[in-house]
Amino acid sequence: MPELPLSGIRVCDLTWIIAGPTATRVLADFGAEVIRVEHGQAADAVRFGRPIVGDRPTMNNSGFWNYINRNKKSILLNARHPMGGDLLRKLIAASDVVVENFSSGIMASWGLDYPQLREIRPDIIYCSVSGFGHSGRDKAFTTWGPTAQALCGLTFTSGLPGYPPAGWGYSYMDHTAGYSAAVAIMAAIHHRNRTGEGQHIDISQIEAGIVLNGPAVLDFTVNGRSWRRAGMPPGNRAWEPRVAPHNTYPCAGEDSWLAIAVMNDAEWRALVMAMDEPPWAAEARFATNEARLANEDELDERIAAWTSEFTGYEAMELLQAAGVRAGVCQRASDKFERDPQLDARDWWHEVEHGELGPITYDGVLPKLSATPGSVRAAGPLIGQDTFSVLHDVLGMTPEEIAATEAMGVLM
Amino acid sequence: MSGPLAGLRVLELCDEPGQFAGKLIADLGADVLKIEPPGGSTARTVGPFVKDRPGPDRSLNFWYHNTNKRSAVLDLEGSEDDRALLRSLAACADVLIEDRAPGALATIGLAPDALRAANPALIVCSITPFGQTGPWANWKSSDMVGLALGGPMMMNGYDPEDAPGAPPIRGHGDQGYNTTGQFAVHGILAALIHRDRTGEGQLIDCSMHEALACTTEVGMPYWLYARQDVVRQTGRHAAAQRTEPWLFRAKDGRHLILYGVGRDNESWKRLKPWWQAHGFGMQFDEPRFDTPLARQPGRGSPEAAEIMAEMGRFIAATDADEVYRGGQERDQAWGIVRAPDETLQDPHFHDRGHFVPVTGEGIDEPALMPGAPYIFSATPWELRLPAPRLGEHTAAVRAAGGAWPEIEPS
Repeated sequence: MPELPLSGIRVCDLTWIIAGPTATRVLADFGAEVIRVEHGQAADAVRFGRPIVGDRPTMNNSGFWNYINRNKKSILLNARHPMGGDLLRKLIAASDVVVENFSSGIMASWGLDYPQLREIRPDIIYCSVSGFGHSGRDKAFTTWGPTAQALCGLTFTSGLPGYPPAGWGYSYMDHTAGYSAAVAIMAAIHHRNRTGEGQHIDISQIEAGIVLNGPAVLDFTVNGRSWRRAGMPPGNRAWEPRVAPHNTYPCAGEDSWLAIAVMNDAEWRALVMAMDEPPWAAEARFATNEARLANEDELDERIAAWTSEFTGYEAMELLQAAGVRAGVCQRASDKFERDPQLDARDWWHEVEHGELGPITYDGVLPKLSATPGSVRAAGPLIGQDTFSVLHDVLGMTPEEIAATEAMGVLM
Repeated sequence: MSGPLAGLRVLELCDEPGQFAGKLIADLGADVLKIEPPGGSTARTVGPFVKDRPGPDRSLNFWYHNTNKRSAVLDLEGSEDDRALLRSLAACADVLIEDRAPGALATIGLAPDALRAANPALIVCSITPFGQTGPWANWKSSDMVGLALGGPMMMNGYDPEDAPGAPPIRGHGDQGYNTTGQFAVHGILAALIHRDRTGEGQLIDCSMHEALACTTEVGMPYWLYARQDVVRQTGRHAAAQRTEPWLFRAKDGRHLILYGVGRDNESWKRLKPWWQAHGFGMQFDEPRFDTPLARQPGRGSPEAAEIMAEMGRFIAATDADEVYRGGQERDQAWGIVRAPDETLQDPHFHDRGHFVPVTGEGIDEPALMPGAPYIFSATPWELRLPAPRLGEHTAAVRAAGGAWPEIEPS
């Protein structure tokens, strides 16, 4: 097995729900030893999250929990027990990175804010991910993914003009705050490699979303133009650059859609050729981008009439063969059953799970030529690594571990 | 120079798909030298423009995505001298990021393998729509086409009764490119950490399709574990079964998202008198509302549905800010659906210094734009340079004669 790029990096993972575990999933995929510290009486709610396998949740059979917690270890530890707190401090001392996504103030209430973490380990890299960050007047406010993406502007910019916001049909901001945290942590590791210096990284989930709409903010501060104006958001039509046709078009079959983006006149001519040069497409009112934009409603109707004659995949193949940017709006089943590109890239990986048997994961990206990331292990059963971590990482003897367990610390 | 990547030398050969990756790295302190063709990156033609007048240095889109970079124009297609200069720069760079079609650099004699042969410590990251290999490798894409094929779009949209026949919806802001950029940087930093240990660089193949295929949260697990496709719904999570709405229109016309109401008993007890003082939720004193599970959304509970319906009436009679702050002060993680520019009006983010002033052609006063996605205690994110004018640093690059051009003190 090739060496992993983050091998040798140990992460004390105090995260839960989605944003934090997404960050540590990235680190684990690239080979960090990620140790999730869990407590059975206050288990991660996602351990009960649907979809589950079987009829009732067992803490180990949530498909979603397994999806975002592969490649990690799990230990059970009651950090509120004095001995549990001591063990947590020892684990932190043995770790390069501490990550958590509690509400602001929780770590301080445990006696584990950054100055205290630094006393435990001077070069610790401590990353906190919270809704509003650890400073500012509203730092005590909280978010879920859906409210974070509402507050940062992302929900608003997804929708049809004149309709309520469609928003994102999942916690895009949990993904993205996690991805940002992974960027920050790895950058901090590189800095520590060079200088020996650790640090605190304070991430606000909302700020991690505000930065994803910079041009819209600048359009307001420079041009005085808000997205809260008639005609916005523009649905699937292009905002910038303003080009047409640019939309999703219905295809044969139920709820089947093809995205087509024509960026210039050459691509328009390619589209017209691929549609077999219908007479309407030769008309002057579709000849230039400006003309097409002025007649966008009719243009979209004409193209929709053409796409409706084909399945999405047929139309996509036809258009791509002609050099037109086109893609089916794929469902999860499409990605898994019908996507030759993901298959050809060895995207799907099967690994053995302690309770569920063989389960399938998507792959690790990007692909590194010398030290690629990998899918090595399924999401851990709760506490499956308690003994090995206490023994191998903290150097405890089996007798010490048994005595600690008997006192109710390892639960 | 500050930033955790200070001292890192990066060549960027990117247009729209790859420029966010370069920005992330530049904003973390790296010296990113953007190599542009004569006429400039296509990203300079993307609006909005300063006062709606196009020009290579007037694209606000370009301003935002190219902070902290320098720009040199080289004619890599047309000039062997310029290609030789690029090879020299790559020989003393740490990282090269490019977003051309697979094999395009090789056809002009700048194959990543060859650049790496001359500088084995070099990390080359190639960002493409579908990756360097596979049947779709040479297909064309765009941000929207990527969001379609990767799966995000099919999860965003409307309940049929809200917008009959509506298509799946693309969230704006080039989110496909943004997510891909974040993954590209994951790969670059992982490779950099490996290089810190071994001195060895490598090639990185970053596919937008893969970045988006694994960025659909519960969408993929629902298929992998339950063989169900989730279905899009207005303003809330796509789900295997229809769920009660979370999106409510306030008295002032703005929308709010309430993902859960009074999940724990303590906050529930604090919420009731607030609503009841406004004349809403009188029935919530009934014991059937007392258990947290009955109040939890997304589980088909009749009490949860009733709570959300009553919330709709309460919110319709109340301004969005009052609902938002009143809820947050009672431990409710509610949010207002803000336009991106409305985030500027929230003093909390100014307390944190989030928005930063930027200058450029056509404006007299600096304008604010979003700044740091992360606050580093030791190596702060910093806006050192606004986006470069086209070719602003070409002369410095040529004068250095193939060595890495020093940064002139500003």
